[in-house]
Amino acid sequence: MHPNETILNDYADDLLDPVERAGVDQHLAGCAACRQTVEDLREILGAASELELREPPVRAWSRLERAIKMEPRLESGARGFPLDGARGRQPGGSGGARLKGSRSMWIAGLAAAAVLVLATAVGVRYLPANRTDATPAAASAPGGTDAASAAGAAAQSGAAQSIETELRQAEAHYENAIKGLEAIASSEQSELDPRTAATLQKNLAVIDQAISESRAAVRSQPASEPAQQSLIDGFKTKIGLLQDTVALINEMRKGNEAGAARIASGLKQKGT
Amino acid sequence: MDLVARCQAGDVEAFETLYRQHSARIYTLACRMAGSAEDGEDLLQEIFLQAYRKVGSFKGQSALGTWLYRLALNHCLDYVRSRQAKMNKLTDTIDAETSFEPAARRETPIARLDLERAMERLPEGCREAFVLHDVEGFDHKEVAELLGIAEGTSKSQVFKARLKLRAYLTKR
Repeated sequence: MHPNETILNDYADDLLDPVERAGVDQHLAGCAACRQTVEDLREILGAASELELREPPVRAWSRLERAIKMEPRLESGARGFPLDGARGRQPGGSGGARLKGSRSMWIAGLAAAAVLVLATAVGVRYLPANRTDATPAAASAPGGTDAASAAGAAAQSGAAQSIETELRQAEAHYENAIKGLEAIASSEQSELDPRTAATLQKNLAVIDQAISESRAAVRSQPASEPAQQSLIDGFKTKIGLLQDTVALINEMRKGNEAGAARIASGLKQKGT
Repeated sequence: MDLVARCQAGDVEAFETLYRQHSARIYTLACRMAGSAEDGEDLLQEIFLQAYRKVGSFKGQSALGTWLYRLALNHCLDYVRSRQAKMNKLTDTIDAETSFEPAARRETPIARLDLERAMERLPEGCREAFVLHDVEGFDHKEVAELLGIAEGTSKSQVFKARLKLRAYLTKR
């Protein structure tokens, strides 16, 4: 008889006492399948402990910096930040803000507004609904009554409407976020070199086409989960590209050539 | 003035230094706990924004990195709980599809990227337990406390995750 999965996992974790361990050793000597299971578990354990750190995208800091600059503390230059929300104002102090001049401040304001809209969109984190949960058992039970079937059909219809409503809300949030970012990107596009601007336009056109196709698929098949997910993925991709564009413009304005080059390179890769 | 004091004074450049020092670890944790790079990036943003708001209350009883990691972990756990509530899934549900059948032999060692992708496919519940136990190095008692589940459930979730990963990595 094979040891159960708990014992094999404890064996791989070296958590068994000597007697139990000896018993498993004896079994493994004659059972290739369990031996392989233990080898695989140990390989997964080893690989998991050696996983490397992942670097966040370059745009992540720019995004965070814009959000930080919207914080009241920076506007007031206040020291400390009590958790009770009593944020004392102190005169003077720039709070480390880097953007200077009315035009830059206008860009920062627009970017911050887009971040706020985006935060709303991101907060939606649309998840395809679990349709089976919404289906009453009576509706699918063999021999169910007509009334039960009708109730089930009504509930299904209600669930489908709820999903559609949720999708429409998510769509509206994403579109708002996109509109805000597009306003910044298009008004400041003259900052970009012509090749980067062309790449950006090309990529946006591809994404818009994908969004358009996904939207058509959702309209013709509102219950299709892949179509819904594809539409949401399209929005997310477009937001990511627009965020990169705004981050690129910011880096160029700050004179950070290395940062700008990294982001521009990412934009070009997305076009290949 | 040291980095903590400068961050507490609202110095954005000091906060950027803090971000550069710790963002990879926090981002990695967030991606793995959330199961996607997109959600991980959003969590990273939220965590550092929260850190910026709360750094004034940091008393120096631990290293700033430890404080930040704890804040990140709590934020990730809140996110996971709220998503689980939304998806109406129980953390201690054992998935019937978990197979304990012997898997076909793999010829090559597990590649890092393959494991990362396979982890993203793990179901809610067992992914978080696996990340906390096998990747982050917490023991089952700690994982149980963090996730608000029984120690035995932590064990079964981690085991379930390993078996699923084994199946995913073999079926490729």
